[in-house]
Amino acid sequence: MIKVEQLSKEFVLTRKLKKELNTTEDKAVAVKNVSFTCEPGKIFSLLGPNGAGKTTTMRMLSTIYKPSSGSIEIGGVDAVAHPQEARKKIGFLTGSTGLYARLTPNELIKYFADLYQVEKHDFEKRKKYLYDLMDMHEFQNKRIGKLSTGMKQKVSIARTMIHDPEIVVFDEPTSGLDVITAENIITLIRNCKEEGKTVIFSSHIMSEVDLLCDDLAIIHKGGLLYQGSMADFKANMEAPNITAEFIRIVNQTKTQHND
Amino acid sequence: MINKIFLKELKDTLRDRRTLMTMIVIPLLIFPIILNVFTGVSESFQQEAASKTLNIAVIGNGSDSYFAKQLEKVPNVQGDKQLVYMADTVGLKNLIKKDSIQLAVEAPLDFEKAPKNGEMKTIKLYFNATDLGYKERAEYYMEAIKAEVKGERLDDLQISATSVDPVNIDYVNIASTKEVLGKLVGGVLPYLFIAFGFIGCMYPAIDLFTGEKERGTIETLLTTPVARYKILIGKMGVVVLSGLAASTFALVGLYLSFEVFDMAEDPRIIEVVHSILSPGFIAMLYVLLIPLTIFFAGVMIPICVYAKSFKEAQSIITPLNIVIVLPAMVGFFPGIELDYTTAMIPVVNVVLATKELIAGTLDPVLLALSFGVMLTLAAIAVGVSYKQFDKEGNVVL
Repeated sequence: MIKVEQLSKEFVLTRKLKKELNTTEDKAVAVKNVSFTCEPGKIFSLLGPNGAGKTTTMRMLSTIYKPSSGSIEIGGVDAVAHPQEARKKIGFLTGSTGLYARLTPNELIKYFADLYQVEKHDFEKRKKYLYDLMDMHEFQNKRIGKLSTGMKQKVSIARTMIHDPEIVVFDEPTSGLDVITAENIITLIRNCKEEGKTVIFSSHIMSEVDLLCDDLAIIHKGGLLYQGSMADFKANMEAPNITAEFIRIVNQTKTQHND
Repeated sequence: MINKIFLKELKDTLRDRRTLMTMIVIPLLIFPIILNVFTGVSESFQQEAASKTLNIAVIGNGSDSYFAKQLEKVPNVQGDKQLVYMADTVGLKNLIKKDSIQLAVEAPLDFEKAPKNGEMKTIKLYFNATDLGYKERAEYYMEAIKAEVKGERLDDLQISATSVDPVNIDYVNIASTKEVLGKLVGGVLPYLFIAFGFIGCMYPAIDLFTGEKERGTIETLLTTPVARYKILIGKMGVVVLSGLAASTFALVGLYLSFEVFDMAEDPRIIEVVHSILSPGFIAMLYVLLIPLTIFFAGVMIPICVYAKSFKEAQSIITPLNIVIVLPAMVGFFPGIELDYTTAMIPVVNVVLATKELIAGTLDPVLLALSFGVMLTLAAIAVGVSYKQFDKEGNVVL
């Protein structure tokens, strides 16, 4: 389970950043008082337009960033006080594929299994499961730099899942992939749910969100605009479909801000 | 866990062509290339200088004059000479500049009276200082004429040479050839070891820190349950090893040049190189190079952690190369020695200590002091690296 309460993140702006952002403020608020809970065996979707604070939130969940205030509980571990313990429970798929181009998929997966201290027997079993599921055997010994985008994303997901984490954080997992690869990944996310894992993922593809998620939260300008189940979201929609409803909620906030 | 990170980063680094070039290929080839070019150029220069016939203009005095005959008599031990007779110095400068004439001598017309009348005669010598070697040949001719005329005058006065020169100085060199060569050329070797140590660290540091940030791989690494200091030490280990490997390959190149390719003939130089390639010397050299390379890595890593792109890191580190490696050039200057002051100056202390090591005159106290200074700086540099690496804004783009 992931439990987030009153989570905020401020970044100190350097002179260079102030110039780039054209501001005189000393700090920028990326996430402001965000609270939500992701249950085991459910898929939670974090939605928001570009620059909304999704990646910052996910980076705080995966303990790369330390929150300015608020709390994060990862599988019963206080992730702010004990980040290293929390990391053992998480598999984090970043927005970029984040792979070492000069290694082969086999070398990379083994490296990450070692970092997560996966036992040899478990490693072989897990590797076979992931390779079979994503059809990775054919390119397992090729240099990652020479693989296609889809193959790289498969390697990236295998890296995320090799230690069989109880909590999985996917940042736009199907972005830029062909239909077949995207479908494989959707199957894997569903499998995670069936296995009782806590899954949180961000996406811009609303059809995917509709297909997969049980609960969702909409974040914009660092603040939480909506949080609830997918069923409630659909039941209370004012717009004709979920994409239109998402846009309506975001625009409504923009109008309120302008007023 | 540090060893897992270290081994993975090492494998990754050894698959990078650019790193392999700066870490192995260039250091390995530098000594054979330098020695090959140096010996080739110096041999051809010597041959040219020896075979070159000097056109010497004799101003005023004719071919049957006393001065011309004296000059003609001087043996051609440094190449042939051809005397050209000119009435005056009109157009002389141009002829020398065009290299039609290499030297010109103007002696008084009554020079033949020099041995007898007790006067001092002045010979004027024209030469172009940018043409190396001609002045030395001119000095040789003039000294020979001077000795001849002086001998004639002493004969005329019936005085023996010893009664005029009451003091004869016998210079006894107490320094061994190894010491002399060590002090004179010993500075070049540490400069190369240091320069390669720095360059060897450069590309792995940029690749393993800025490169990981740019490619987004650092983010995935930071989500693993490995403490940041372990990640830093694992990566830093590869940077330090690459720097040391570059210096080692330079040493291997030196070995190959002398022991396999026989690029030096001078037995004195071979003796010095043999002493450099001894296990004792190599062990002492590494005592100095290890903290120095850790210091280099410690200086580069915070920059690489801070830089947002490979290009930015490279643009900061490249000028730093000059700032850090420039002090290593003090080794080229004779007279600057390792003492309690210079032992406190980083990089300079390593160069001077290595120079003393080559000469076989290294004071162990000063070696310990130099090592201590470099070790302290290396520890500070590691601390600064950790501080930078621990800043979340630096590590993730």
